Amino acid sequence: MAEEEPVIGLIIVAMVLLLTIGPWLISIIATFVYQPGQKKKLLARETAFAAKGDTLTTLKKPFGDREIKEFSMVSANVVMSPSWVQMWIGSIITLFGGEINVFTKIVDWARREAKQRLREQVAEAGYDAVVNVRFETTVMSRTRGGKDRTSGVEILAYGTAIKY
Amino acid sequence: MQPNINNMIFSNTETIPGMSITQSLGVVTGSTVRAKNVFKDIGAAFKNIAGGEIVAYTELLQESRNEALFRMLNDAAARGANAVVNVRFATSSVAGGAAELLAYGTAVVAQ
Repeated sequence: MAEEEPVIGLIIVAMVLLLTIGPWLISIIATFVYQPGQKKKLLARETAFAAKGDTLTTLKKPFGDREIKEFSMVSANVVMSPSWVQMWIGSIITLFGGEINVFTKIVDWARREAKQRLREQVAEAGYDAVVNVRFETTVMSRTRGGKDRTSGVEILAYGTAIKY
Repeated sequence: MQPNINNMIFSNTETIPGMSITQSLGVVTGSTVRAKNVFKDIGAAFKNIAGGEIVAYTELLQESRNEALFRMLNDAAARGANAVVNVRFATSSVAGGAAELLAYGTAVVAQ
């Protein structure tokens, strides 16, 4: 009996550690390994498209007087979430003010992803360009303990795809 | 009579390429307020630890936005329009866990 007690104690300690530090460890690994990996994939997709020139424009009409044969409204969206670590860093920076770099990166990443999805979607459907591109940003929140916590930022990119 | 929206033309540009607008029928809107699925919310809460894209929410918002667009087109069809120009999307977070998605534009008759 005397030998078993420390074992049970160890298991309890291990469980508590797993539940408290575990998510934070996952968060740290995700922030510094998983997220850069995803961004690298996105960059590869972007460079594959960049060779042909950007098909997106915020202008209301495409350059030149080319006749538009076909058009369709297109949209692409993405919800990106900062990790626990990034939220924690963000809340610390909020105390001092200034640019919150971690959030800037998340929103920028989401916007790049949305733009890239729009490009891919349009290329797949056989359109030549997208005019009048607009962006929309929404904060998705989750209520916990009477407090709204950010659980993600949605970026929507939409425009009119045209075919010459 | 159920208005026919299959042939509705919509665009977020001010004009419709190859057509001229003959009549403006006012602003049409379509909106929907959606709450998140509890089970998906749990999944999203876990994904929150790691950060990055939350696919469940991306899909949810996409579906809801299509619904808003559908309602807007129905509104336009009910007014006798055959096209909607200058379509815009707006989104706002109504209370925690619910989001309103709005699609609006100008209903027109185009020939």
